[in-house]
Amino acid sequence: MADRRDGPGSGDNEIEIKRLSKVFGQGDAAFRALDDVSLGIRRGEFFTLLGPSGCGKTTLLRLIAGFEQPSAGEVIINGRQVAGLGPNARPVNTVFQNYALFPHMTVADNIGFGLRMLGKPAAEIRETTERMLALVRMEAMAARKPSEISGGQQQRVALARALAPQPRVLLLDEPLSALDLKLRKEMQSELKRLQNETGITFVFVTHDQHEALTMSDRIAVMSGGRILQSGRPTEIYNHPAERFVADFIGDTNFLDVELVAVNGATAEVRLPGGGTRRATLPEGLAPDPGSHVTIVIRPEHASVTEEAADFEGTVEDAVFFGTDTHLNLRLSDAARFTLRRQNTGAGDGAMPEGSRVGVRVADGGIQVLRN
Amino acid sequence: MAVTQHIDTTGAQAGADMAALTAERESHGWKWLLSLPALTILVFAASGPLLIVLIYSVLTPAEYGGVVWELSGRAWFQVFFRRDIFDPDEVTLNWSHLSVLWRSVSLAFQTTVICAILGFPTAWFISTRPPGQREIWLLLITIPFWTNLVIRTFAIQEVIRNQGVINSLLMNLNIIHSPIQMMYTDFAILVGMAYVFLPLMVLPVFAAMDKLDTRLLEAGYDLYASRWEVLRRIVFPLVRPGFIAGSILVFIPSIGSYVTPRLLGGGRNMMLSNLIELQFGQGRNWPLGAALALTLLVIVLVALVFYLRTIGGDEDKQHG
Repeated sequence: MADRRDGPGSGDNEIEIKRLSKVFGQGDAAFRALDDVSLGIRRGEFFTLLGPSGCGKTTLLRLIAGFEQPSAGEVIINGRQVAGLGPNARPVNTVFQNYALFPHMTVADNIGFGLRMLGKPAAEIRETTERMLALVRMEAMAARKPSEISGGQQQRVALARALAPQPRVLLLDEPLSALDLKLRKEMQSELKRLQNETGITFVFVTHDQHEALTMSDRIAVMSGGRILQSGRPTEIYNHPAERFVADFIGDTNFLDVELVAVNGATAEVRLPGGGTRRATLPEGLAPDPGSHVTIVIRPEHASVTEEAADFEGTVEDAVFFGTDTHLNLRLSDAARFTLRRQNTGAGDGAMPEGSRVGVRVADGGIQVLRN
Repeated sequence: MAVTQHIDTTGAQAGADMAALTAERESHGWKWLLSLPALTILVFAASGPLLIVLIYSVLTPAEYGGVVWELSGRAWFQVFFRRDIFDPDEVTLNWSHLSVLWRSVSLAFQTTVICAILGFPTAWFISTRPPGQREIWLLLITIPFWTNLVIRTFAIQEVIRNQGVINSLLMNLNIIHSPIQMMYTDFAILVGMAYVFLPLMVLPVFAAMDKLDTRLLEAGYDLYASRWEVLRRIVFPLVRPGFIAGSILVFIPSIGSYVTPRLLGGGRNMMLSNLIELQFGQGRNWPLGAALALTLLVIVLVALVFYLRTIGGDEDKQHG
């Protein structure tokens, strides 16, 4: 559900984005990378911009960093308008996708660069550099060149370099995408640890839903230069408001159903089996009873049941994933439904092909989409 | 028994290895013939002529050019010193030669500096163009290279001579009332050489900049560096190899320049190549010409070592 409490104007926001747009090119070749985006990022939170490539998340990050200037709208950092200020005048540091470490400087010189540019005294630079090296556990590599350390180590140095000047906000542009799976998992918890220890606001850009769900305090899902929905990971996952959000994050069943009644934030919808169940409505949406809407049911929110089934389906196939088994059902000619059976150790959860099974959706497991 | 057999087999193996080694060694007996074309070029086109120059520099000049096969150190003596015509015992430094030497080194150095100063923004401009445009700019830089050097030098003459483009323009605009003498000065030589050799600086510097990751510049700005600091601490150190290559490529042909000082410097502002030509022509002093040519070679070698030691050495310190 769109979180309205974090809207522009809120007092404890570190960053406020007001009606921000960015257009690249001119005339027919113009490309609207960011389209009227408003957003508040709270002090000290781990905020993630999630979306596929080309959705505008990196553009938004670059506008906050100051690498690009907006076509319209405002960026306010710590209560201060930063329009027209370059990256070197903003209390914000960036961790780049491919680290962008200075190849001609040692690890220690890379980390100390920001402090040197700020004109800090040599003793303070040395002391902070050592503290940062310890923070990312790279003390032994201080005298090495970036080309002499591994990708994961370069990642740590890039983090230390961006954290050393103690920025108010750390911007991270897909920093883990170049790492292999094992290192990525390690760095995910490392990033969370660093964020907790430093208390700095993190703005993290990724196209990886798992990264977003596991690390973030809040997520903004972006597509086509707009923010479709923002909120806590559980809100985004359990109550996607738009088809794109539901589809992009996790596996989803979409069903077209009839809306029977509306009671404030919830509604009664008629499921394929004929019975009605309670569904959550997206905030601000009040459709007319009798209209047709699309609902979302997550595969793990449905289970096979013998009695009180919401609807029935024919088993098409079953796919064993280890932790669970995906049961693909045919409800009618047009509708398919996937449910997930947890592997409890008793059997593999599969059902014979062609058999009829009853499906029961958990309470609160039905979400109505906005469109 | 098994042990003996084992030793036997290893012994046989060793024997086979030896045979293979000997065969390989023998085959080296004729393999060097394959490098004959390269050796021929090295001997007849590179080391040979150099050796002849070296030998000529220690012979005695013949009356109408050429040499007499009689060992003499006079040519080398003449490069740096001169005897008084009336009193052969009075030895003084040969200032006319030394000033030509100094002018050559100094003009070549100044040309290198001018090319570096002009080449940097040019290379920067080209490397920041969109990919399609870059090739066009590079082509424009190299086109003058395809034009004859003498024609290009005459073109420069046309621009800077007393009735040339610059002087007539300034006089028509009433900014000056008599032409500024630019022809037949060191300034004219500098303009000519910088114009001719600029591409040799632009191309390697461009190549180095082309490899420069623009995100490094963004990282610099992000870490509170000003434009100047980004230039000084990130761009310069990373394109330095291009500058070193460009400096060597400009300095060496500059110091050996012949056409440009001849056409733009006139008879008085000679450079080393003009002096050498004089000795083999009107001067009829082939040994002195040969000694001067070798002096030029030594200067180039010293300059190269100096470049690599100072600029290249700095690099090592930074990378070590």
